[in-house]
Amino acid sequence: MTGSATLRQTDGRDIGPAPASKRDGRRSAVRSRAARRRGEGRAAWLLLTPWAAGALLLTLGPALVSLYLSFTDYNLFNPPHWVGLRNYTTMFTNDPRYWDAVRVTAQYVVLVVPIKLAAALGVALLLNRGRRGLGFYRSAFYAPSLLGASVAVALVWRALFSTGGTVDHLLSDIGVHTGGWIDQPQYAVYTLVLLGAWQFGAPMVIFLAGLKQIPADLYEAAAIDGAGRLRRLWSVTLPLLSPVLLFNLVLETIHAFQAFTGAFIVSGGRGGPGDSTLFYTLYLYQRGFTDFRMGYASAMAWVLLLVLGVLTLLLFATARRWVFYAGQERP
Amino acid sequence: MRLFRHVRRTAAVALALALTGTMTTACGSSAGSGGAVSLRFAWWGNADRAKATQAAVALFEKDNPGITVSTEYESYDAYFQKLATQVAGGDSPDLFQLDRATLGEYQQKGVLRALDPYLGTTLHTGSVPAILLSAGKIDGKQYAIPGGQTTQMLLYDKTLWERAGAAAPAAGWTWEQFAAAAEKVGKATGVPGSTDFGWAIDWFEVWLAEHGKHLYGANGTLGFTAADLSSFWGMTATIRAADGLSKPSATTKMDGSTANSALVTKQAASEINYDSNLTGYLASYSGGTLAAAPLPTDSASVSGLAAMPPVSFAVSQRSAHADAAVKLLDFLTNDPSAGALLGTTRGLPPNLSTRTSVCASATASAGDKAVCGYESTVSKLVGPSFGNWPTGAAAVKRDFQQIYDNVIFGKTSVSAAAAQLVSDAQQTLSQQ
Repeated sequence: MTGSATLRQTDGRDIGPAPASKRDGRRSAVRSRAARRRGEGRAAWLLLTPWAAGALLLTLGPALVSLYLSFTDYNLFNPPHWVGLRNYTTMFTNDPRYWDAVRVTAQYVVLVVPIKLAAALGVALLLNRGRRGLGFYRSAFYAPSLLGASVAVALVWRALFSTGGTVDHLLSDIGVHTGGWIDQPQYAVYTLVLLGAWQFGAPMVIFLAGLKQIPADLYEAAAIDGAGRLRRLWSVTLPLLSPVLLFNLVLETIHAFQAFTGAFIVSGGRGGPGDSTLFYTLYLYQRGFTDFRMGYASAMAWVLLLVLGVLTLLLFATARRWVFYAGQERP
Repeated sequence: MRLFRHVRRTAAVALALALTGTMTTACGSSAGSGGAVSLRFAWWGNADRAKATQAAVALFEKDNPGITVSTEYESYDAYFQKLATQVAGGDSPDLFQLDRATLGEYQQKGVLRALDPYLGTTLHTGSVPAILLSAGKIDGKQYAIPGGQTTQMLLYDKTLWERAGAAAPAAGWTWEQFAAAAEKVGKATGVPGSTDFGWAIDWFEVWLAEHGKHLYGANGTLGFTAADLSSFWGMTATIRAADGLSKPSATTKMDGSTANSALVTKQAASEINYDSNLTGYLASYSGGTLAAAPLPTDSASVSGLAAMPPVSFAVSQRSAHADAAVKLLDFLTNDPSAGALLGTTRGLPPNLSTRTSVCASATASAGDKAVCGYESTVSKLVGPSFGNWPTGAAAVKRDFQQIYDNVIFGKTSVSAAAAQLVSDAQQTLSQQ
């Protein structure tokens, strides 16, 4: 019986009780199962240790410290000084730049999430047909997602859209004089939307996986019933893909709220011109690492966390109305 | 049994050998690291400054075989973000560069080592003008040593100004004459006459001085009113509206570096800056001839030019090798060969005898010649520094630029912006 417990403990597969324990009767079988479970628990904890240590020490610990710091005035050099809710009240009532940042971020999220998901779905639909060189296309479309978060691509963006940059030149050549988009408050955020939407590779791959799951016979049946291409997309593909759509929507919304690198590099860390690219995270960074108001920055981070939590809950709440799981009646 | 004893003896011998081996290596390594000191030295600046500084550091390492120096440099904003994080994490460079806006702040945080114990023994300042040294003094103690001497200048593209037929800037010209010339250049060439100088609090300081005021009072209070700032920003708005100053899209990028300069990117025909950046401009400017001229003034007695260190060097309080860091500092300040290598990449050399030899050198670079030439033509106009900046000045400086962005992009009116800056600044200064 120890043998069976050890066996299970080491490779984790359920091989059933060893012959010896069968002979020991019911009670000992129960006991052995309990012991086995205890051993399993220990093994699980042992295997989880590296992850748990990381999560506790590197994520949860600092997160809790930042919750404490959000109620203090802390400039990195002197010890934190308790100020109660002052950071939060300042943020909501006495900091116009905070609301600028909220507005810019909301505008960005509202634009980038639908555009990115539409692009991801569109390309996934194109790639879902069996055509030659599929692997190549998939990689080609996925590449920007790997590169896009990097500083290098943001620098390229800056060179493309600055005054005297490539786009400015090309547009000037055809008689459109807009100047550099990133240097003007009315256009700057759109260049960042473009940069964000261009990185649609990750949701695209997930959509592709979802599309492969849809049984071909449904399409066949729909075709026999005389459904056209659009009808099939609307009545077969989209409902069956809706769980994947929900997943991508939640993930991309959170992702968009956390956008930082592009705005930081393109605006040179300032969120300009005229605060037009002052993303929430960028303002948080400025408060923390330029002004050294770590308490204020922590408070901002916690507000962002709460808002993201509420938004995610809302998305899941609406999901009941439009997400369809196979085997369910369509709502 | 015999076999067992044999094994045991072999093991013991092996163990002993291993132990001695370890000990020899241990001794060897400790002897090696005992003699070697490694320093970290950080500054901000353009590429030409980095090249010159690295050459001087290499010479220092050659002269001091026991000391190795690793260098780090960035642009201004990035430099201070990195420095603050390093200092807070207890990982500060041993020797680093500060400026007027940041010196007081770092001193107050207890990050800087008072250099008085080294003065006259390992750190010599006899050849450095007292007017510069005083900028590194706080509460009577010397916390920083000037890295050079600079003054304000208007750098203009002679070619464009001549083509427009605008009067060449000359000593004693007024802001009105400047505005007329800048507008003329803008209208005639299509390139605005000058970079919109409302972005930097440094140029507002010049204007204030010419009107008998200061940015900051003696005890770290604000020395100007919203009305003062309104009339300064009102002046830039008027010139800008008449094509005399750069467009908002160019102004918003200004950060004092040549890479983001409106003049260098051909979006303005002149620019106000400190002459410590002159070599950087000359190295990156193409397609025209640059010349330096004094700033305009509205005052008969105040020229608007002041002598001050563009940067200062400070030693970290927590440096484990403060003696070596001071040695490097002394080398950069006083060694003639180091002075020759550094040239005028931080303005005029702080050491007067180095300054004379750099400016008189037959092999002086075009940049060195330009800085020396400009400083000698304006030497009679240059007055004392406008005063040290208090803690919080760095935040006020950032706020000044950010609020001006809102002005040029039409998000706020000049008067509302001026009132906001004054109220923000008062709050910042009172929190220190």
